[in-house]
Amino acid sequence: MASEIEKGTKYIPEMAQTEIDDLNKSIKTASLKVIEDNIERMKKAWKNRPQAMEYFDEISNLFGKRQEEIKQQKTAGKKVVGYSCIFAPIEMILAADAIPVRVGSGWYDTAKLGDRIMPVEICPVIRSTVGAKMVSLSPFLELSDAIVMPLTCDGRTKLSEILADYKPIWHMNPPRVKDDPHTLGMWKQEIMVIKEKIEKLTGNKITRKNLKEAIEKMQQATKAFRRLQDLRKGNPVINGRDAMLVNQTSLWDDVERWTQKVNELCDELEKRVEQKEHSTYPDTPRVMLTGTPMIWPDSWKVPNLIEESNPQGLVVVDEQCSGDRILYDPVGVDEWTMSDMLDAISERYLMACTCPCFTSEHGNEDRINWIIDRIKEYKVDGVIYYVVRGCILYAMEYQRIKRVLDKMNIPVYYLDTEYTREDVGQMKTRVEAFLEMLEARMDI
Amino acid sequence: MVVSAGVDMGTQRVKVAIIKDKQVVGKAQEFVGFEPIKAAEKALEEALKDASISRDEIEHITATGAGVDMATFADSTVSMMGADAKAGTYFFSSARTVIDVGAEDARAVKCDEYGIMQDFIVNARCAAGAGTFIEAMARALEVELEDMGALSLHAERASPINASCVIFAESDVVSLIHREEPKTEIARAIFDAMAERVSSMVKRLGINPDVVLVGGVAKDVGFVTSLKRRLGIEILIPKEPIYAGAIGAALVAARKAKRSRRQ
Ligand code: SF4
Ligand code: SF4
Repeated sequence: MASEIEKGTKYIPEMAQTEIDDLNKSIKTASLKVIEDNIERMKKAWKNRPQAMEYFDEISNLFGKRQEEIKQQKTAGKKVVGYSCIFAPIEMILAADAIPVRVGSGWYDTAKLGDRIMPVEICPVIRSTVGAKMVSLSPFLELSDAIVMPLTCDGRTKLSEILADYKPIWHMNPPRVKDDPHTLGMWKQEIMVIKEKIEKLTGNKITRKNLKEAIEKMQQATKAFRRLQDLRKGNPVINGRDAMLVNQTSLWDDVERWTQKVNELCDELEKRVEQKEHSTYPDTPRVMLTGTPMIWPDSWKVPNLIEESNPQGLVVVDEQCSGDRILYDPVGVDEWTMSDMLDAISERYLMACTCPCFTSEHGNEDRINWIIDRIKEYKVDGVIYYVVRGCILYAMEYQRIKRVLDKMNIPVYYLDTEYTREDVGQMKTRVEAFLEMLEARMDI
Repeated sequence: MVVSAGVDMGTQRVKVAIIKDKQVVGKAQEFVGFEPIKAAEKALEEALKDASISRDEIEHITATGAGVDMATFADSTVSMMGADAKAGTYFFSSARTVIDVGAEDARAVKCDEYGIMQDFIVNARCAAGAGTFIEAMARALEVELEDMGALSLHAERASPINASCVIFAESDVVSLIHREEPKTEIARAIFDAMAERVSSMVKRLGINPDVVLVGGVAKDVGFVTSLKRRLGIEILIPKEPIYAGAIGAALVAARKAKRSRRQ
């Protein structure tokens, strides 16, 4: 047990309050600019952007309406459970009437602050999250009463220690091999521990009734998400960036309202399909994104590059835990008994996840199959494999994926980068060459 | 009959090529200086003169190169890799891998028989795999840039250079000079270090024969010798490798001109 004296002093160095305030203010201002700029660019790229997108633009302001709402709900007694990674069982958080929010950071500026206490070899997602905590920038991290921390990669494992300087951290220990008979059992235990912790924090019991409701809520969300995804399979009626923004806002929005808004968006888009109203030229090369999570707002540099490139590309699907992976699979319940629901939740969060922290004798097969299926369904012309420096799991798995894609004759490009805006020029050269190549292949 | 132009907006020089009926009929180059657009206009004018063609006859201009965004006069653009692939197969129809080592960067492209790029790799982060590295080292060695290659060929072995970064390699070279190692061997070591960088990049991409080397550095016998040794294969070198980007762009321009005629 750590002594009281040690508490809160494990990692984070002392910083003068004035410095914290100054940095918080300047980075927040910069971030708001990036958000605004991203939205402007998305609007410009698509003159006739559907009205329903306005809602998501609003929710995309991390310091705006949603933050205020959560603050108010907290004053009214609700609890907020943050999570760093896709393994946190959202349904249980909802069942206990708490608010789930994802806390990974996509801010480039805060990565520099993280450098003060972390070696540059650590991936910038982690450095940036730590930096955001150092200056209390992330509204959702700040508002969290506890954080679910699945220990997937090394960066996340140590991140949990660092954040424990400030908040109660609930570890989860996902197995690295999914399909051994005993691993699902282990994972169920992990889920049960989290269940108890949620109940204790909120003072609300997770019952058959409220869990069933929560599962159904999330099933509705996945249904809406799939409806949107189906629209991306044909001629372009929505740009990739817009769809990605819709996906990502689900990480901090109220899930029921989000579901309703996605359905409204789909209504609009379905009309456009009939009217053959396209968001861009139908013969634009169709790109799949995969790799390291791309987190709003700064990571939008990549989809911006792709969709503003000359020749232009269109992101039609992704295989990322910041995107399509979030909501693709619903919890599948056969019988609404408590034990069946808990089984279904355990299975959904383990088996459906294609994160490269998993392996098997044949490699991370689920991810490969997922990618292959999506390439076929979405008629993908080429894949961009995005990796930030220090993200070892994704970097290493590239060769495995490339071999499969080479066999399918699907070009794949390894786009490595950092959390910085300075390399956009260089990246542009590379992205344009790749898209040009896809276009030339389509010509023949 | 299509007349088209390609403009390669390099970091040091602007190169222009004019093609008519798939034949290069005019070329010119200019130093960029502080006014890249003016340099490009001037090079274009000279290339037109060289080809005895008037500007109105040109149907389409395609620009490429690091400064491509400045090329406001161009009708379209093509990536440096796309241009390399086109030019490589234009120079040698058997070419399936094109390596381009310029002043500031190095890249390699795999292509098919039509000169369409299939895969590529770029080294844009490190100057040690590009021409400026040789320039910096020639300065440290106090020999003329043009003499470096010939000098290196007289070496019996290469002096050891550990650092592959320009800054550190430079101090390595200085200490070799102080130790009075023969200049021939230092020169060879410099080319070997650079060839090592380039070849490991190319090997990552994978090599399909035949291999063509283009870009300014392809003129340097010292580098070419080291690269051949490192890759362990023959390398084809066109007569004027420096015009690869411009010629590739001109070929793309010709294709675009034909396509817009069809529409
Ligand atoms: S990539 Fe894997 S470890 Fe990283 S956040 Fe996503 S699910 Fe978690
Ligand atoms: S999976 Fe990659 S990006 Fe995510 S935290 Fe780990 S190293 Fe960083």
